[in-house]
Amino acid sequence: MTAYVLQRLALMLVTLFAIITLTFFLMHAVPGGPFVSDKMMAPEIQAAINAKYHLDDPIWVQYLNYLRGIATFDLGPSFKYAGMSVNEIIAQGLPTTLKVGVLALICVVSLGVPLGIVAALNRNRWPDTLVMVIATIGVAVPSYVIATVALYFFALRLGWVPTFGLDDWRGYFLPVFALSGFWISFIARLARSSLLETLQMDYMTTAKAKGLKPGQILFKHGLRNSLIPVVTVLGPVVANLITGSFVIEQIFALPGIGRHFVLSITNRDYTAIMGITIFYAAVLMVMIFIVDMLYLVLDPRIKYREAR
Amino acid sequence: MSDIHVAPEMWKPAARIAGAAEQIAAPSLTYWQDVRQRLWRNRPAMLGLGFIIVLVIAAIFGPMVSRHNYYDQDLKLSNIPPVFQVYEVTDESGATTRFFFNSGNLNLYEVTDDGRIAGLIRGKKDLLKKQTVFAFGDVEVTLNAATQTLTRGGGVVLAAGGWQWNMSNLFGTDQLGRDVLARQLYGARISLTVALVATLVNFFIGVFYGGIAGYLGGRVDTLMMRVVEVISTIPLTLYVILIMVVFNSGFFSVIIAIGSVYWVDMARIVRGQILTLKQQDYVAAARTMGASTGRILTRHLLPNSIGPILVALTMLIPSAIFIESFMSFIGLGVTPPEASWGTLTSEAVETLRAYPYQMFFPAAAISLTMFAFNFLGDGLRDALDPRLRT
Amino acid sequence: MSQPLLSVRDLRTSFFTSRGEVQAVRGVSFELRPGEILGIVGESGSGKSITCMSLLGLLKSNGKVIAGSALFEGEDLLQLDDRDLRRLRGDEIGMIFQDPMTSLNPTLTVGEQVIETILRHRRISRAAARQRATELFELVRIPSAAKRLRSYPHEFSGGMRQRVMIAMALSCDPKLLIADEPTTALDVTIQRQILALLRELQSRLGMAVILITHDLGVIAETADRVLVMYGGMVMEEAPVRRMFARPSHPYTRGLLASIPDLRDGTHQRLTPIPGSPPDMRRPPAGCPFAPRCRNAMAQCVKALPPIYEVDAGHGSRCWLHHAEAPRVEGINELVPA
Repeated sequence: MTAYVLQRLALMLVTLFAIITLTFFLMHAVPGGPFVSDKMMAPEIQAAINAKYHLDDPIWVQYLNYLRGIATFDLGPSFKYAGMSVNEIIAQGLPTTLKVGVLALICVVSLGVPLGIVAALNRNRWPDTLVMVIATIGVAVPSYVIATVALYFFALRLGWVPTFGLDDWRGYFLPVFALSGFWISFIARLARSSLLETLQMDYMTTAKAKGLKPGQILFKHGLRNSLIPVVTVLGPVVANLITGSFVIEQIFALPGIGRHFVLSITNRDYTAIMGITIFYAAVLMVMIFIVDMLYLVLDPRIKYREAR
Repeated sequence: MSDIHVAPEMWKPAARIAGAAEQIAAPSLTYWQDVRQRLWRNRPAMLGLGFIIVLVIAAIFGPMVSRHNYYDQDLKLSNIPPVFQVYEVTDESGATTRFFFNSGNLNLYEVTDDGRIAGLIRGKKDLLKKQTVFAFGDVEVTLNAATQTLTRGGGVVLAAGGWQWNMSNLFGTDQLGRDVLARQLYGARISLTVALVATLVNFFIGVFYGGIAGYLGGRVDTLMMRVVEVISTIPLTLYVILIMVVFNSGFFSVIIAIGSVYWVDMARIVRGQILTLKQQDYVAAARTMGASTGRILTRHLLPNSIGPILVALTMLIPSAIFIESFMSFIGLGVTPPEASWGTLTSEAVETLRAYPYQMFFPAAAISLTMFAFNFLGDGLRDALDPRLRT
Repeated sequence: MSQPLLSVRDLRTSFFTSRGEVQAVRGVSFELRPGEILGIVGESGSGKSITCMSLLGLLKSNGKVIAGSALFEGEDLLQLDDRDLRRLRGDEIGMIFQDPMTSLNPTLTVGEQVIETILRHRRISRAAARQRATELFELVRIPSAAKRLRSYPHEFSGGMRQRVMIAMALSCDPKLLIADEPTTALDVTIQRQILALLRELQSRLGMAVILITHDLGVIAETADRVLVMYGGMVMEEAPVRRMFARPSHPYTRGLLASIPDLRDGTHQRLTPIPGSPPDMRRPPAGCPFAPRCRNAMAQCVKALPPIYEVDAGHGSRCWLHHAEAPRVEGINELVPA
């Protein structure tokens, strides 16, 4: 048990370290170097960046300095916005991104799983067909298409919700819907097939042969086991909600981190790109660690399989 | 005991046909015949396959036969819809002019009898009254910008005629006056090529990596799989974006970025397959009977592991298409004037308020393609799953 | 003779698949007395498991009992509604399955899985149920029983898991225990231990047992009476000693000839039965074994033989037992000494 937790923790840190390293060297592999080729830069900023990053130092010294900065939660100054640090950019966008993202995650779990269960329990009857048709659409149609079509009909044509911003509570509907649509569908399909598979297991026959009631069999023996694969994908879900937010925040003009990220890409703001990527990775690592711990609660086999 | 009456000749031995027992058994199908049969009966999968074939043919030959190309701009004929309502005005000399009114940019365009766009009709703008006056011979037509109505000379409201399909540009034109159909076909080419090449690159890396890990096993395998584990927790889309930033936008960058990142699942599948197959009795049997490694690999391992790999490949293509369009959408894909479904959608979003219908074709194209590949992949997986064999 | 505990009459079960109706069980009848061990033997696909699954309503969703009755203590199991059947399962009738690895829920402790069965059928406290579970573990000789209740299935060996399954099946003192291939997935030495345990528990607790197996050795060691099934039908039925001494059906003889007899000491050849079982989507009109039978006659292909009573409690479904049938050594004619 402790061995498993420690092992997961170690893996998380190793991955994070790999990400930081990869990101750093990728950004420094940009032809001409990330910080030197810009002629528009004011000399004082150049000086500030030089001071911060010791740009004349060999790259591994810069790398160590950057690592040192991260260790103290300092992602450095923005390359394009004078006087703004990457930390400040993230802090500015975080509330918006967090609100929409958490709502989307709640929607994914609280809608996807029940839909999948309903479909599996009504296999080949109309609720199953209905859920599967919707889920197939949700998986196939890209989120930005869903977002723009929804924006056009519900905001521009019908005027039910605002076209941008989150000032009105109704403003949350479309971004959350567009962001979570794919994963609600994906989770519904996964939960369905997983439950169907679990229902085929020998131990379900055993549970029946013991005379347990259908409700007992489903909730105690069926659901718990079929939820394990669902929990497994929660890590990737968070990762994709993060990347999904890039387009969603752009389409609905939300001032979140995703929009800042896309902007910094367009502006070639390398320090911001690097910092936000690492921030995202850290959030994801924490999420994956939480999922691993959930896994531990759901599947007792894991302790033994992994610790060995 | 009163026994059943049996005719004496019935006690003769039954003619025993060699292998009679086997003949009675159902005609058994080989695995692949079974797979093909089940796939064939799966209607969505077959529809998907049909769509993909049509799409590929259109992407290859479409741009060759098209009258337009994807880059020629004609700003006079921008934002022309694919269908429009035709108005007719006849002047004193009896000459009839057919035209349609583009409510998005308040322009009138002359239309030929067979539905082609003849050109923009110039009018006199009256900024004070917010109206434009068009002269057809001696007939004047006034366009009121506020109410978007056309009135003729004395104030008679001009009634629209029937709907007419745009025969010059079947899918209309975009904001730079480029033919949408030509751009769609070209976009399909780019999107499909990116997806296919990137998938193949992933496939080879995955097979290579997973194959080595699975075949060597032991400590090498453990180490290689740990690396895979680390990679698989990295948010890959972010890395595609970073690689694009490094290499700058463009067709080859997209392929490199997507191709180098998504091989992890493939490597896992290949390794898993090889590991299970290594332990299979029939492989041991083949080895005992003196089959060479190459023969075991081609005759026994490959045909048996191809199923899951095939499914993974079919599923990788739509996600590659999706990632490419996603990148293009946030401005990191192919560079203009090149088109992909992502850039087309993103361009349509820019004009969403004035010309919402421009969203239709790119959105439909990418969605239908995603459907097609998803259906085919699902169908393949179901067809290949031996547990479903009955 | 005492009243039978279970009396099955003309049971017919089919599966409806995409490729047509599979007639898995085609008219099976048998009786089981209290405290008796009945062995059902047959190749895979002979319908032996399906027979028992039909009795308890445990068929997969595409399986259906077409006809027949199964009186268990005067109640027809096949007519009971779901609720009454659930009341019986695990209480009056316990069941053990082939693979103890997959038959236990991997994510619940074995103790929980036994306790939930007890709590389902008995109105006792959780603590009392736990006490009962501990006793059951001791009964099936799981060492340090109280502690092992908290373990998960994957922490047990195959044999120990099957002991857990047995404890679970016995948790409510069933009158009937159905054991479906209980030893097939186990090592030979473990097999013997489990069989010995089953026999011992049966004599101690006095329940009746239906033992399904494809292994004649298991039957010889454990059962009182044997049912030989083939093609969804009972081919021969006899007390176990008589079955081995005087098999009266060509199929049974074939089965016996295909197992090695080590006590013999001589190097006799094993004779496999050629051919494979019939396709149950289109079962043959005559005797299902006829295509593989070395004694097959024209009559065998044409019509299904009835069960002939060759001796008290010994029946055989074979035309050779017809009064006018030709004599065949060993089947309807005594082997010359």
